Amino acid sequence: MQSTNTAILRRQRFDQYVGVFHQDMYRYAAWLSRDKAIAEDVVQEALLRAWKSLDALREDASAKQWLLTIVRRENARYFERKRLETVDIDNLTASQAALLAVEEDRELDDMRQAIYELDDEYREPLVLQVLMGYSTNEIAEQMGLKQGAVLTRLHRARAKLKDKVTQQ
Amino acid sequence: MNCEEYRQAIAADPSFDGGAGHLSECAACQAYRNDMLELERTISRALTLDVPELNLPELPDIDSSNVVALPKRRLSPPVWMAMAATVVLAAFVGFRMMGAGTEYDSLGEELLAHIDHEPYGLRVSDEAVSDAQLERVVPAQVARLDHSAGLITYAQSCVVNGREVPHLVIQGERGPVTILLMPEEKVSGPESVTGESVKGVILPVGNGSIAIFGEREEALERIERKVLDSVTWST
Repeated sequence: MQSTNTAILRRQRFDQYVGVFHQDMYRYAAWLSRDKAIAEDVVQEALLRAWKSLDALREDASAKQWLLTIVRRENARYFERKRLETVDIDNLTASQAALLAVEEDRELDDMRQAIYELDDEYREPLVLQVLMGYSTNEIAEQMGLKQGAVLTRLHRARAKLKDKVTQQ
Repeated sequence: MNCEEYRQAIAADPSFDGGAGHLSECAACQAYRNDMLELERTISRALTLDVPELNLPELPDIDSSNVVALPKRRLSPPVWMAMAATVVLAAFVGFRMMGAGTEYDSLGEELLAHIDHEPYGLRVSDEAVSDAQLERVVPAQVARLDHSAGLITYAQSCVVNGREVPHLVIQGERGPVTILLMPEEKVSGPESVTGESVKGVILPVGNGSIAIFGEREEALERIERKVLDSVTWST
């Protein structure tokens, strides 16, 4: 009876995290991989890994960071396994192009294209800051960088986006 | 702070609110800041991709017997904190009785404040309170309570609107759900209550009411039905 209750509560806890953080996990994976299909695979793998190691998560307050860290590792594993090459901007696959689906808003289109073309080292901290609400300290921890390096990357990322959007 | 330093700071983090002195005297940096904030809005919109419907992978069974205990949602307070809380609660009740306590505009507001001040009840747990504790908190002369509403993980007698009421917590799908049984607190109809991170409802039941509060994402309707089915006033 006790173990049944434990199993039910464990599943409830997992479903709670998935319900709250699934969107963040997907968007983070999509911007890391720049490919919608890969993002879905990465999220599936990440959820499976999270389920198996759920008991390692001690504090609910850390759940988002914990899940995004798993997504990051799964994304790296995915590219390692498939030995995928860097995305060629001029020859996008359908699911890569899907990320850049044309919006009615031209300004939004241009910005999404500009973000897509940013190098990983600039795109990732930007996503963590703008979309995930991370502080520069948290980004530094997530990416294994010094805070100064994060600030520099964020500053350069915005400068590049500003330049590109202005040119277009 | 000069222009270059200010612009580097705001470009690294548009929420940067330092350098107010420089900003107030530099029109160029004010314009730069406005540009950055506008850029930030566009970046945020561009990053917010549509998310496809979730297909959960098949989750393997986990041997629950190996799971020692679920981590607590919040840290259990140490003994000294519990003692301090008791003293504070006693003082609070005393002040209320003397008419010097905090006054609330509505029952909902008081309930939200009560939940906020009793966070140690809100923890994820798989440990049911003992029958003896439950009987102490919900005596037979107040209400009959079966266990169909869910696993009761917390039970204490609390004071709401000057009356002692049973404060229970069960485990919902999105986290702990607080239930307050108020057999003498009559309300004219169902009343929704929304707090900073919780939502709830006060339901009229006979000559009293039952309040149910959960996380904002919690589907309370299902729990409401179960709670109403599981409670019968004795008075």
